[in-house]
Amino acid sequence: MTFADFLNLALNGLVEGLLIALPALAVTLVHGLARFPNAATGDVVAAGGFGGYFTFNVTGSLLLAGLGGALVGALVSLAAYYLAFKAIMRRSVITLLLTSIGVGFFIRSVLGMSFGHELKMFSLPLTRAINFHGVLINPTDVQLAGVIVAVLAAVFVMLYVAPVGRMMRALADDPDLGRVSGIRKERVMVVMWSVTGAVCGIAGTVLGMRTTLAPEMGWTMLLPAFAAAVIGGLGNPVGAVAGAILLGVVQELSTPYVGFVYKIALGYVVMLLVLLVRPQGLFNRPQGVR
Amino acid sequence: MSMLTTTGLDLAYGDFKVLNGVTMEMSLSGLHGMIGPNGAGKSTLFAVLSGFSRQTAGKVNFAGTAFEQLSAVERARHGFGRTFQVPREFKHLSVRENLKVGARHQPGESLIKLLLAPGEVRRAEAAISERVEHTLDFLKLRAVADNLAGGLSGGQKKLLELGRVLMSDPKFILLDEPYAGVNPVLIEEISARISELNQQGIGFLIIEHNLEALNRLVDDLYVMDRGTLLAHGKPDEVLADAGVRAAYMGSH
Amino acid sequence: MVSYLATILIIMVIYILLAFSLDLQYGFTGLINFGLVGFFGVGAYTSALVTMNLGLPAWLSFPAAMLVAGLLSWPLGRIALRLRDDYLAIVTLGFSEIIRLVIVKEDWLTHGVQGISGIPRLWPNWSSSASELFLLCALITAAALTTLVMRRITQSPYGRTIQAIRDDEVAVIALGKDPSIFKTQVLVIGGAIAGLAGAFYAHYITYIVPDQFVPITTFYIWMAIIMGGVARLLGSISGAVLLVFLLEGTRFLRGYIPGVTDAGMASFQLGVIGVLLILFMRWRPQGLFGKRSAT
Repeated sequence: MTFADFLNLALNGLVEGLLIALPALAVTLVHGLARFPNAATGDVVAAGGFGGYFTFNVTGSLLLAGLGGALVGALVSLAAYYLAFKAIMRRSVITLLLTSIGVGFFIRSVLGMSFGHELKMFSLPLTRAINFHGVLINPTDVQLAGVIVAVLAAVFVMLYVAPVGRMMRALADDPDLGRVSGIRKERVMVVMWSVTGAVCGIAGTVLGMRTTLAPEMGWTMLLPAFAAAVIGGLGNPVGAVAGAILLGVVQELSTPYVGFVYKIALGYVVMLLVLLVRPQGLFNRPQGVR
Repeated sequence: MSMLTTTGLDLAYGDFKVLNGVTMEMSLSGLHGMIGPNGAGKSTLFAVLSGFSRQTAGKVNFAGTAFEQLSAVERARHGFGRTFQVPREFKHLSVRENLKVGARHQPGESLIKLLLAPGEVRRAEAAISERVEHTLDFLKLRAVADNLAGGLSGGQKKLLELGRVLMSDPKFILLDEPYAGVNPVLIEEISARISELNQQGIGFLIIEHNLEALNRLVDDLYVMDRGTLLAHGKPDEVLADAGVRAAYMGSH
Repeated sequence: MVSYLATILIIMVIYILLAFSLDLQYGFTGLINFGLVGFFGVGAYTSALVTMNLGLPAWLSFPAAMLVAGLLSWPLGRIALRLRDDYLAIVTLGFSEIIRLVIVKEDWLTHGVQGISGIPRLWPNWSSSASELFLLCALITAAALTTLVMRRITQSPYGRTIQAIRDDEVAVIALGKDPSIFKTQVLVIGGAIAGLAGAFYAHYITYIVPDQFVPITTFYIWMAIIMGGVARLLGSISGAVLLVFLLEGTRFLRGYIPGVTDAGMASFQLGVIGVLLILFMRWRPQGLFGKRSAT
């Protein structure tokens, strides 16, 4: 494998990783505050993707499509919170998890019945990759990666600079803090569900632009998002993004050795190894995983 | 005389020592108590003794067997029983079933015997059932024998936990706050039962905050504060000690 | 009509077996297995391959299916012992997906995405409808035997102890019993039962592809045991029956609504299952036949 090949795979892996980074971030933020892995994440991604798709068809603007996707994602996520999760927040992990499976099914079902199962594509001009001494760089990929990085930056600014973001992180670290310090947990929750929904919505729009749209598209995102979040350490936003990029790059680099099918399996294997060796994830401090 | 000894037991998180050089020696047939303010490390000591936490330094010896490297399961199998500060009843099982689970030698827990030696399983079950009935009477839980354990009162759950650990034939039992949240009448009952059991040869180390009840029950008292053993001796003497009063009474 | 009823019953009893497998693991022992369909698939493929590649009679392939599915559960068991609920759910889900990917990739054995067709019926010389009835009878017999075994296991000291592990593993350890042995055994037995169900499925449907073994089936069975009531054999049976009624019922509705495609129907079923999951978890988590527990 030449250096150019290596770089190609690594760059592709970087883009793949960035694509997973958004839903992985959503998974980890929900887990941090609501304490369960949200299995509806993938389907919110799909819903947002459809939202972005229709916004694009109506407006022709990619920027508005992204915003449309974010809006749809946020609304669907908030609806799920108010209608399904809020009432059972204090119940066991398995209750919340199974409910989220139900929510995901419902979203997927509505998408399927409303929009059918034929694959849809954004009508975007086809771009050709630029060849840079054997390294292929696709302008669309660069733009989409840029969008994702911008969104990630915005979310991290919120998490580390904005008061509500700091409260979110504090509550994730110590859920009892709310009662003691007067942080209004409900308000933080609403912000969290909206932000994670918006993030998923943008992920869906970007994914739709890069590949195709279908009601099932979210499901294929879900396990990689879970794996990335687990590898980085559940509840750790930096970990989720780092885990996603790591996963994407490792998967792509492994393709010449294990093939396209097993590269997906590799993600789960890596997640398993991390759980066995360093259960709190690569970026978290040791705590109760057992 | 068989002893439970600890030597220089430490449990450190980084620089912070939750347990600091705890050294004790107690007879396995005695009735010992342990008091101390909240956060003194009493429950942590229990966790280390019973194998649920691992010490960072030090040794534990139970009747001549080195305990510090053994798992919690192995320690329990040596006859080292314990109860928990917040009762851990099997909430979806009945009181009777809770007690039955405690019994040690159950051929019915082996799949092979279950399917191939039904007679042996049946006989063992009959013996266990008989013991359970005695335990129910001993602890006066017969009235709630068929109730789900999750619905019992706090005091009843404590009694149930005691009964359950008794079913496992322990030589020595760590009791973690047996009187907490229990009404005074029941406290008398529990004390009486512990006394009877001690006379039958089972030793106890009891963590408690209820000083009067503990004082009347135990032969000797340990005092812990901030991870160290502050004092040890007869209950009256220990409680009269000025140092102990300062450390403990202030925050009680 | 008879053929239709036979088909419904076959699916129903296969679902009952899967429900038993899951209920033993989750309802009785508290293990969250989101990878059920993986073992179902392993059973189906093992049975198909043993019959076709090794030329062994079908009835020998069934124990083979149970053995392989059971053995594959063992490593999952070792992994499961060290993980908390939410991590266990994700890992078991990943496990079943890895199984499916292996089935897809190792096409020299499994024919990959093209699947295995022409799986012989249980009594090849008979007509197809007689063969189907024969399979149904064999299936019911197997299910009845499994019920007896389940009963023996769950209503026994073993059943008591696994429920104790479910309720409070720490307390079980403090009594000197090692939960890991029980958990591993339960995963292996459950895996074997799921494998048995898979073997029947393969010989009933005669054409298997990897896409038939996707997580949706796992969650349909979760739905079944939750509806019927966990930790009860009657709950597993009634839940599976209800599931089939729901799936078939929605299919009937299609006759009354014009212009609904196959895919549209599948979407609708998915939505019904989703809503039911949400409703049951919120309002009646003990299921229709479960006891209201202390919590």
